[in-house]
Amino acid sequence: MSETGTSQQLQALRELRRRAVLGGGEKRIEQQHARGKLTARERLALLLDEGSFQELGALATHNVADFGLEQQRFPGDGIVTGFGKISGRRVAVFAQDFTVLGGSFSEVQSRKICRIQELALESGIPLIGLNDSGGARIQEGVRSLAAYGEVFVRNVMASGLIPQISVILGPCAGGAVYSPALMDFIVMAGGSSMFLTGPDVIEAVTGEKVSGQELGGPPVHMARSGVAHLEAATEAAALQLVKHLLGYLPQNNNEDPPQITPYDLADRMEPALDSLIPASENEPYDMRDAIDLIFDRGSLLEIHPDYAPNAVVGFARLDGYSVGIVANQPAYMAGALDIDASDKISRFIRTCDAYNVPVITFIDCPGFLPGTDQEYRGVIRHGAKIIYAYCEATVPKISIVTRKAMGGAYVAMSSKQMRTDLAFAWPTGQIAVMGAEPAVRVLYRDEVKNAADPAAKERELIAYYREKFFNPYRAADVGQIDEVIEPRETRPRLIRALEVLRTKVQQNPPKKHGLIPS
Amino acid sequence: MENLGWGLQMTVLGMGLVFALLALLWGLLTLVLKFDPAPAEPVSPQAATREAEHIAAKAGAAVGAQVPLVPTVNGMDADLVAAITVAVLTHKAVRRGEAAPAMRSYWPGSLLYASRWVASGRARQNRSWHRGR
Repeated sequence: MSETGTSQQLQALRELRRRAVLGGGEKRIEQQHARGKLTARERLALLLDEGSFQELGALATHNVADFGLEQQRFPGDGIVTGFGKISGRRVAVFAQDFTVLGGSFSEVQSRKICRIQELALESGIPLIGLNDSGGARIQEGVRSLAAYGEVFVRNVMASGLIPQISVILGPCAGGAVYSPALMDFIVMAGGSSMFLTGPDVIEAVTGEKVSGQELGGPPVHMARSGVAHLEAATEAAALQLVKHLLGYLPQNNNEDPPQITPYDLADRMEPALDSLIPASENEPYDMRDAIDLIFDRGSLLEIHPDYAPNAVVGFARLDGYSVGIVANQPAYMAGALDIDASDKISRFIRTCDAYNVPVITFIDCPGFLPGTDQEYRGVIRHGAKIIYAYCEATVPKISIVTRKAMGGAYVAMSSKQMRTDLAFAWPTGQIAVMGAEPAVRVLYRDEVKNAADPAAKERELIAYYREKFFNPYRAADVGQIDEVIEPRETRPRLIRALEVLRTKVQQNPPKKHGLIPS
Repeated sequence: MENLGWGLQMTVLGMGLVFALLALLWGLLTLVLKFDPAPAEPVSPQAATREAEHIAAKAGAAVGAQVPLVPTVNGMDADLVAAITVAVLTHKAVRRGEAAPAMRSYWPGSLLYASRWVASGRARQNRSWHRGR
C-alpha cells in the first residue's frame, strides 16, 4: 500500500481514537465535571499506575437503529475496558462512561465486560469495575437484559478465583446492581447510589416518597443493608481505597497476598494490653484498641465498619503478612451476635478462605442476642453461617478468647472443633455454657429455694460458679485452649504461630459444592 | 569703739566674700548659657508620642536583632524539613497500605513458588469440586 494510503488510514484511526477518548463529547464531559464527577478515563488514570493502561475495544459501537440510536453511535459505546497495573500488579478494569448515553448498559458494553472478565480469569488477575450507569439501555430491549446475564454468569464463575472489586461512582440501578453484588467487595463514593427500583417506581407502586440517596446512598448500604463494604467521601478517595484493599489480596486463589517488608517489631510486647480488660465483667471496652496494639501499626482496614458494629472484621498485617481479623465488639451490644453480625462474619471468613488470608478471631461474646425478633427472622440459620464458614475454611485459623466465650457463641466463634489450628486465651477469659446467674438458677434451683436465706445462698453459689468456670483454665485442662497467654505477648505469639502455619494445606472432601445456610 | 570697728571690718569682709562668690556663680552660669544658646521649645503631646513610638520602634528592632535565627537543617528551614518529613512518612504509609513494589518482600508478591508443598496442596484444594477434570 502506498505511503499516502497508509497515512490516510492512520488519520482515520487517529480520528476514531480521538472520538473514543472524548466519550460523549466535550459538552457531556463538562456536564460531568459540573456535577463534581470525573469521566471514566480520568478515573482510570487515578486508579492505575501511570502509563500502564492498555485499552481494548475502544472502537466498538452498537448496531441498533431503533429510537434514533443510529444517530448516537460513540466509539467505545459508553464503557472503557482494558488492562493496567496497580502498584505494579496487573489488573483488569472496566469503567462505565456516563457521558455516553448516561452510561446505559448495552449489548456492546456486556461483550466488552465479558471479554475482560474472561481474560482476567484466564490470566489470574483481579478485576475492578467502576460503575456509573443509569441502567439498562431501554432502546435495546431484551438484548440489554440478556447482556446483564452474560456478565453475571462470569462474575459467578470468577467468584473465589480472582478478587473482584466494584466501585460505585454514580447511579447503579435495576439489574445492574447484581454484578457488583456478585463481586467480592463494593466500594461506594459519596453521592453514588444503588437500588433495584428507583424512587419514581417506588412512589408509583407503593406511594412511598423517598430520595435516591435515602433509598440507596452510601450511608444506607454501609450501615443498614450491608451491601457496601467500604465508603469514601470522594471518587479519588474511593479509588485510593481500592488500591489499599488490593494490597491485602492475592492476584488469584492460588497465590498468597503480597507480604510487605516488616516495619513493626515482631517481638513487640504491649503492656497496655494487660490492663485493657476492665475489672468489671460487664464493663465494655473497645476491641479495636486491642487490634491496634497487636497488629502492625496502622495496618487495620476495617470492612463493613458501620454495619453490625457488634462485630469487627477487617484486614491487617502481622509482621508484614496479610491477615483477616474477626472479633466481637464488647463496646456495642456487649459483643452479642445477631443476624447482621453473623452475616458479616461468615461472609468475611469465606472471603479470607478463598484468597488464602489467615483468619485470627478475638472472642468476647456473651452469646447470641436473645429475643423474638431475632428468632423470627432466623438467627438460627444466620448463626449457622458462622459455623459453616469456620468449618469450611482451610486457611490458618487462630482464636484468642479475651473475655467472655459463652454457650453456642463460644462454639461458633472459632472453637477448636471448628478446625481452629491454635486456640489461645487471656487469663481474663471466661469460658462457660452460660452466665453465672442463670446457671445457678438452673443448677441449684431447689437448693436456693430451700435455703434459710435464699439470696445469700444464691450469692454464694454464684461466687462458686464464677470461681469454677469463669477462667480459661478448665478449658485449657480439657484441651479446648492450647495456651493461656499474657495479653502483652499476644503479638509475638501470633507471629510465631502464623510462621508455623504458613504452609498449612487442608483439603475438604470432594463435592460439587456445599449448602451454606442462607 | 576699737571692737566696733573690728566688727564692722569683719562684717564687710564676710559679706563681700559671699557676694563675690555669688557674682562668680552668676558669671559661670552666664558663660554656660553662652555655650548653649538654643532655648528649650515647648513640645506638644502628639510630638511627644511620636517621639516615644520612634524610640520604641528602635528599641524593638534592637531587641529583635537579639532573637536567634530560624533553625535550619542543612541550610533548609526546619519547618520546611518537618513538613517534608511528614509528607514522606504519609506517602510511605500509603505505599505500604497498597503493598507497593518498594514495600514488598517478594516479587511478584507470592511465596507460593518457594514451597512445593503449598503449590501442590493448593492445586488439590482447588480440584476438590472438579473431580471430572
